[in-house]
Amino acid sequence: MAEFSWDIRSPLDRALVAGPHGARGDAGVSLTEIRNFDLVQVMARRGKAADVAKAAKARFGVAAPETPKAVGAADAMLIWSGPDQFMVLSKGGKHGIEALGQAFASSASLSDQSHARVLISIAGTKARTMLAKLSSIDLHPDVFAVGSAAATSMDHTSVTLWRGNDRPDGQAVFNLLAFATFAESLWHTVLDSAAEYGVTISHSEEL
Amino acid sequence: MAGAQTNRLDKGGLIDRSAPLNFRFDGKSFSGFQGDTLASALVANGVKLVGRSFKYHRPRGILTAGSEEPNALVELRTGARREPNTKATTAELYEGLEAASQNRWPSLAFDVMSVNQLFSPIFVAGFYYKTFMWPAKFWEAIYEPAIRRAAGLGRAAGVADPDHYDKAWAHCDVLIAGSGPAGLSAALAAGRSGARVIVCEEDFTLGGRLLSDGGTVDGLPASEWLSRTLAELAAMPDVRIMTRTTLFGVYDGGTYGALERVNDHLPSPPEHQVRQRLWRIVAKRCVVAAGAIERPIVFAGNDTPGVMMASAMRSYISRYAATPAKRMALFTNNEDGWRTVETALAAGLQIAAVIDARADISPAHRSLASKGGFPVLHGAVSGIDGGKDGVRKIAVSLTGGARAEVETDGLAVSGGWNPTVGLTSYHRGRPKWRDDIAAFVPDGAPPGMVAAGAANGAFGLGACLREGFDAGAVAARDAGRSGTAGSVPVADDQAFSLTPLWHIAGKGKAFVDQQHDVTASDIELAQREGFESVEHLKRYTTLGMATDQGKTSNVAGLAIMAAVTGRSIPETGTTIYRPPYVPVAIGAFAGHHRDETFHATRLTPSHHWAAEQGAIFVDTGLWKRAQWYPRAGEKDWLESVTREVKAVRSGVGFCDVSTLGKIDVHGPDAGAFLDRVYINTFSNLAVGKARYGLMLREDGIVYDDGTTSRLAEDHYFLTTTTAKAGLVMQHLEFCRQVLFPELDVQLTSVSDQWAQFSIAGPKTRDLLKEIVDPTEDLSNEGFPFMGAREVALRGGIKARLFRISFSGEMAFEISVPARYGEAMARNLMLAGKQFGVTPYGTEALGVMRIEKGHVAGPELSGTTTAADLGLGKMMSTKKDYIGRVMAGREALVAPDRQVVVGIKPTDRARRLRSGAHIIPKGQTPGPGNDQGYVTSVCFSPTSDQWIGLALVERGRERIGEIVHAHDPIRGEDYDVELCNPVFYDPDGGRQRG
Amino acid sequence: MRITCPFCGERELGEFTYLGDAKPVRPAADAGEDAVYDYVYLRDNIAGVMSENWYHGGGCRAWLKVTRNTLTHEISAVEPAAGAGAAKVGA
Repeated sequence: MAEFSWDIRSPLDRALVAGPHGARGDAGVSLTEIRNFDLVQVMARRGKAADVAKAAKARFGVAAPETPKAVGAADAMLIWSGPDQFMVLSKGGKHGIEALGQAFASSASLSDQSHARVLISIAGTKARTMLAKLSSIDLHPDVFAVGSAAATSMDHTSVTLWRGNDRPDGQAVFNLLAFATFAESLWHTVLDSAAEYGVTISHSEEL
Repeated sequence: MAGAQTNRLDKGGLIDRSAPLNFRFDGKSFSGFQGDTLASALVANGVKLVGRSFKYHRPRGILTAGSEEPNALVELRTGARREPNTKATTAELYEGLEAASQNRWPSLAFDVMSVNQLFSPIFVAGFYYKTFMWPAKFWEAIYEPAIRRAAGLGRAAGVADPDHYDKAWAHCDVLIAGSGPAGLSAALAAGRSGARVIVCEEDFTLGGRLLSDGGTVDGLPASEWLSRTLAELAAMPDVRIMTRTTLFGVYDGGTYGALERVNDHLPSPPEHQVRQRLWRIVAKRCVVAAGAIERPIVFAGNDTPGVMMASAMRSYISRYAATPAKRMALFTNNEDGWRTVETALAAGLQIAAVIDARADISPAHRSLASKGGFPVLHGAVSGIDGGKDGVRKIAVSLTGGARAEVETDGLAVSGGWNPTVGLTSYHRGRPKWRDDIAAFVPDGAPPGMVAAGAANGAFGLGACLREGFDAGAVAARDAGRSGTAGSVPVADDQAFSLTPLWHIAGKGKAFVDQQHDVTASDIELAQREGFESVEHLKRYTTLGMATDQGKTSNVAGLAIMAAVTGRSIPETGTTIYRPPYVPVAIGAFAGHHRDETFHATRLTPSHHWAAEQGAIFVDTGLWKRAQWYPRAGEKDWLESVTREVKAVRSGVGFCDVSTLGKIDVHGPDAGAFLDRVYINTFSNLAVGKARYGLMLREDGIVYDDGTTSRLAEDHYFLTTTTAKAGLVMQHLEFCRQVLFPELDVQLTSVSDQWAQFSIAGPKTRDLLKEIVDPTEDLSNEGFPFMGAREVALRGGIKARLFRISFSGEMAFEISVPARYGEAMARNLMLAGKQFGVTPYGTEALGVMRIEKGHVAGPELSGTTTAADLGLGKMMSTKKDYIGRVMAGREALVAPDRQVVVGIKPTDRARRLRSGAHIIPKGQTPGPGNDQGYVTSVCFSPTSDQWIGLALVERGRERIGEIVHAHDPIRGEDYDVELCNPVFYDPDGGRQRG
Repeated sequence: MRITCPFCGERELGEFTYLGDAKPVRPAADAGEDAVYDYVYLRDNIAGVMSENWYHGGGCRAWLKVTRNTLTHEISAVEPAAGAGAAKVGA
């Protein structure tokens, strides 16, 4: 009997080369791929918005977003993804599809998206300048403040973008969920866009 | 060694004399300074002749100092970066710049084609239309190539552009076009009000006409006010000033296009940087402070090198400290032209004469003339004595009829100013005529836009500052900003008086459009031949159709047409204004999307494993799919594909089918929903079962097909074809949200969540037993055909297993979460090693589906019904569904429709090709007996011959009939037999076994 | 062109897909062939204000009913389709 190994591979496993990229000197953009997360799409059923809100509050201790926002809970991030729906981003299976199935049993339909996306965290002094090449939406801090989210497109691909908490040095952090099969292509576009500012590339298992 | 800059003033100008730059023009070395344009450096070096004209190859010099330049067009750079028709007047000088004049052979000074001038009576407007009309076949072969050699401007590089371009978005409250006094004043007001401001300036230096005309603002010399203002703006964090950036268009909803020439001023872009960037700017308000363009007066010889716009003359003198002439003359019809005289005198130059078309001139100018010791002649310039070396003498028709001559080495011309009305008119706006300045000014503008300053017909410095400031303050307020704009910059307004003068009749060619060689007499001819409407005039003479879009010529052309038709200029009207304001390279529009990155690419989860195996990939929409896996020694694709098919049919193989669209359909009404979108019923599908489904468009034609499984009472897993995945998702969302909002159903794309593999062949179950947990029952009873359920795999992960077959073999499809996709491929190889498992690509997949008679894209062609595909029985009669009613229309159920049938050549050795037409045997092919066409073909290793599917009239009734295949594209004719489309295992025993 | 999605806010045209006239209503199952023919094929070619179906596929995937002037491209109203945001039905 053969011994199978079920290596888990990020869609960026080949394309991502940790280290510096592009212009030398202080990197203006840092790109960190976050690997191996749980991501569940929660879609409220017809007339069940209130039930879903209640279930989310009970489960996460925070209200689920009803507008384009990303809401942080103790061990999960709830990200608006469209009318009547949000995504639950977490680690370690606590809020995976099976666990959440119970919580939203009669009020929402759940779809596992854990393997369907890549998650890239973008920061640095030139992050917003670089994102202006990819995103048509206004990311000015007055408009896209911490906790803002958007279901939008980049490079003709649907993405979910939200602004996380600022880094300790005050730099804004933009988180990008993109479809896995587009990941390599989008990654190269991101690198092309960021190269002139100097990039530092890494990956992490931490949300 | 570069020559001396003979025409450079000793001091002054906005050039950096500590930074000399060497450059070459037509192979000759010159030097200039940082801050020069190529044109100003050529002026400084005394170069007058810079190009030959488009049609007549006449010698041409530099007419302007800006982006309106019609004449001084050069090929800039060499090799792959060579760019034709680059305006010397906007090209920044850099060390090592190389430029070449255009449209001359063998040399600029001696151009053989200038003989065209001698034949000029035949090169009149409409010449091509009239002369090269017959015989028609001569056009492509003889006329056009010859004309293209003789006429035309620069040469394209002819090789791929080595530079990179990109695109970006910007957002602001107030967008300002232009950084002259009006633009900067608008920026001050808007910025102080708290608005987010973007200023686009096409020049590399901010200030607009302030840089050339000076003046006093707020009691300070213009240059000091400029630096103070720029410092104030720089301190505002939300004011962004973009130099080398031309706002070229306005689009709906406050979206603007701008081109930033990021690195055009360097020999090549620094590493990792782009050459140009296309900006899409979203602005709540826009202030067009794009200034005005001085217009020429049309007279004989007005294209002689050394004839220059008066404002350009003073730009060269004051901004660049370069002297186009030592002893110039001025021909003006307005007050403003005299400023060039003042500038020239202040720089220590001489004035030969001023020819003023107005009856009166101011006492101040009269005393300037007597102090400067030059005559003022009332009248007009009627001719030029000069040539490629410049102006020698000018002929003057004096008011009252006498004639005079003036010896001079350069003529400054001012015919008044045309406000830049492009941006304000791009939404089909028509500017209005103002008699007091004899010019068109904006009459309204696209929503959110307003013109200010010279672009609005306000020519005085004080007026520009006031208008700009007011516009900026209002724009900021309209955008919701309530800060205080502070005080408006103050300056005097210069008097502006003008006597309209457009064209002086005389002997010799008088040019209106210098870039396209359109003369005043061409316009008169167009009128005589009936092309009086401005749109006809434009197209018949090509007036204003060159790369400069008639910036210096259109209004004069209209004025001449107005004069010959006896109408007023506003009655004559303008042509429609369209973006872009300046030429924009296609590379800038393409940005990142070129070559390999022309479009986004999707990779399957096992892509890198397949690449390791040496797979040949094929582009399928955005996807890269493994087409086949060649092995050493195989001589062509057919050999590889045949091996893969045989391996599957006799053993086991697998194929990544993750590209199929996959959609989770959830909710209490999921079954009811699917019943409405599919022709067959899904609400009665048992949990744990899969069913083939077919969707129609509302017009009754087949839309898409796929297998849908019921994984839970309220959860179906729907698959689509690869090609239609996105469209089907959109269609289903339309059904859910628009057509059937009462249903409680939720949809999610899970295409990217699952890596899906088809495993096929008689040894499929053997292989699966190796990889699936031993507790799972894979027997025919435990997992029957069309079963679908979750299973555990050895090693702990879970998969979805579907017993479905596209190949006609015993087959399963297995799905694992996508990040396990590559491991799955490796594990299938490992588990199947003992069974000779063979990965196969899309070609083998296609061969096997044709052998099995399954329809696919070529048959689901957007013209076929379910019955055409042999699937008519699937159409439920017990429910409504999309396309039901229209599918019943007479023509869609007619007995003579073309339906899917199998074909095989009567000559077993013959190769089939799709696209061949089917006609009855023995008949001559023609539209009257075309009975269908071949849709799909393959070499069938199983039948050991080529086989195919075809859509043939009444095909199913004609099984066994020999028909004729006619392929006029490839010149092939042969007979084929119509047969059952299921070539392989027609009773389906293998897939059910 | 920019469309203000009622869920996402103002977005550029590239995120949306145009379908066409939003006026025709899909006939009931028993309406007969003529009614369905009208629904499928007959469209007014309006030079002026028109109600249109647009899909925010590059964003939140909501279908929208957009009131647009076909002469000026001015958009005067955007509403979600009946089934977009249905979780709040009855609330």
